Amino acid sequence: MTSEKVSASEMVAGSHKNDVGWTKSILWLFNLRLSIGLIILLVMGLGSFILPNFAPADPSVQGTYTRYLPPSAEHFFGTNALGQDIFWFVVESVRNSLTLGVVVAFGVVIISTTVGLGAGYIGGRFERITMLFVDTFITIPLLPVLIILGALIRGNTSFLVVGVIIILFGWAWNARTVRSMALTLREREFINMARFSGSNTAEIILREVFPYVAAYTLVGFINTILFAINTEAALAVIGLSKIEVPTLGSIIFWALNYNALFTGHYGWLVAPIVATIALFLGLFLTSTGFNAAFAERRGVQ
Amino acid sequence: MIRISDLVISYRTGRGTINAVDGLSIGIPDGCIVGVAGESGCGKSTLMKAVYGDIVSPMSLTGGSIDYGFSDRNGKPVTSATVTRQWFRTLSYIPQSSMNSLNPVIRIREQFIDFPGIDSNKKRVLEQAREYIQKLGLPVEAIDSYPHQLSGGMRQRMMIALATFFQPQLIIADEPTTALDVVVQKEILLLLMELQEQMGNSILIVSHDMGVHYQVTKRMLIMYAAKAVEYGDTDSVFNKPLHPYTRMLIGSLPTIGDDRARHGIPGSPPSLWGDLHGCRFADRCPLATERCRNEEPPLVEHKPEHFAACHFAGQELTKMEGGKWQ
Repeated sequence: MTSEKVSASEMVAGSHKNDVGWTKSILWLFNLRLSIGLIILLVMGLGSFILPNFAPADPSVQGTYTRYLPPSAEHFFGTNALGQDIFWFVVESVRNSLTLGVVVAFGVVIISTTVGLGAGYIGGRFERITMLFVDTFITIPLLPVLIILGALIRGNTSFLVVGVIIILFGWAWNARTVRSMALTLREREFINMARFSGSNTAEIILREVFPYVAAYTLVGFINTILFAINTEAALAVIGLSKIEVPTLGSIIFWALNYNALFTGHYGWLVAPIVATIALFLGLFLTSTGFNAAFAERRGVQ
Repeated sequence: MIRISDLVISYRTGRGTINAVDGLSIGIPDGCIVGVAGESGCGKSTLMKAVYGDIVSPMSLTGGSIDYGFSDRNGKPVTSATVTRQWFRTLSYIPQSSMNSLNPVIRIREQFIDFPGIDSNKKRVLEQAREYIQKLGLPVEAIDSYPHQLSGGMRQRMMIALATFFQPQLIIADEPTTALDVVVQKEILLLLMELQEQMGNSILIVSHDMGVHYQVTKRMLIMYAAKAVEYGDTDSVFNKPLHPYTRMLIGSLPTIGDDRARHGIPGSPPSLWGDLHGCRFADRCPLATERCRNEEPPLVEHKPEHFAACHFAGQELTKMEGGKWQ
């Protein structure tokens, strides 16, 4: 018994060292990919939220400047056919697109985690009925429905409604993934023990099951931002979003509408495309970086 | 005193219902360690679940009742319907495999203070928990670690600490030492006995290991095919078993200095699906007669506090001594 005690306390002491200092314990998280991704996101996020305060004029107002000014010190990317400064327009669109993405991601993650954990843990008839809904939403083809919806509410929609629509069609897949994770936990002994110690279903889901899916939730959150920006841009390009609001998609819509490609005003098209790619790269690197860091911690290389 | 009277627990399956515990009546005195033995599928675990009150579909309480003999906070007697509210308060459960019974992604101290409805002062609870685990022979740092950082014995100790933190009146231990080696097994059993002595509560302990039963328990319940076949003081059950099944079960144990070949009990328990009449052990019993096959023997008190369900309990033991199975 004493020998067991000694070795055990050594082990405990060894593990204790990891807790010393918060910085050390969080350091495992930052691999190269994650660091680059976070830096890109930080620059774009901070830039798009702080810079608009210094904008000389509201970029979405038409006819502020002379049309088609070439790039200069005053207008970095020139102006467009509507007399708007392209640089400030892009900055504002990154902000709007990011905001939309984050709001949608919050909605999707909350709904899908709740539904997925509930269905996976509770099981039985509740699960079958819930999964019927989830599978229905998964099988509905997204783009045709969005085009029909867009055609119906064209012009009358607000930016918020676009977000709600994306949430509506985006939660189901994540819910299915979370459910599959909860399923593997349902029959584990410690879940039984938690139940035997008097915890109710909600407490078990929150305290025992959620920690397992927390890491996935973070990755899913970032992926959903990507998905939301992507979907909104796709809608805007075909003119079905709120095209007066500057977003990465609506710039491209206006540029295509005024034939920027053929009239040779490449700045109008290239600027939003580069911004979109940079944003996607940042989100993608962050998402895979988190995944890699969590996998490494679990011992999967 | 916990009284189990005529308890029938059944499982609903696609083929129909099946009684995994079929008309079992025993009384468990206060402050007593009761061992439950019997082969796989005899209904031990089902009985434990029923006593613990974890009766969920497809399992159901079809007949009989359990009188726990203790009352809840409002002074009402606890019944099978309300016992779930007593979990880990007056009634605790120590699981079979403590390896998997602690959540691997949460520190143990969180699991201590996570008890629902506990004292809202988490700091004070944690202080008490630290003190308590030290009393159980665990290093105080163990409470700050994750389960995988502890050895199997420490984890089972931790589980016992969690289960006995509120000084329950009844502890149900379902094969608490099965996954442990003999040295740790002994420590755990000694710890359980020590705790029982201090708190004076009752323990229901399931084990396949007759040695564990002999060392730890005061009383023994032997089950066979969903029925209680023998129940009595452990000494009495081991030294003068009344039921042929108990006799053969004990006869199959090795003893030091006796190098004769050991015999198992030939045959296997009857399927609970079939039409069961008469004594359920009759097909494997060397003493069985026509009467055994037709008439079911009741659980009768043959000696003070020693019950057996056999038409030939005790009387015919001498005949068995040179029987074909030994």
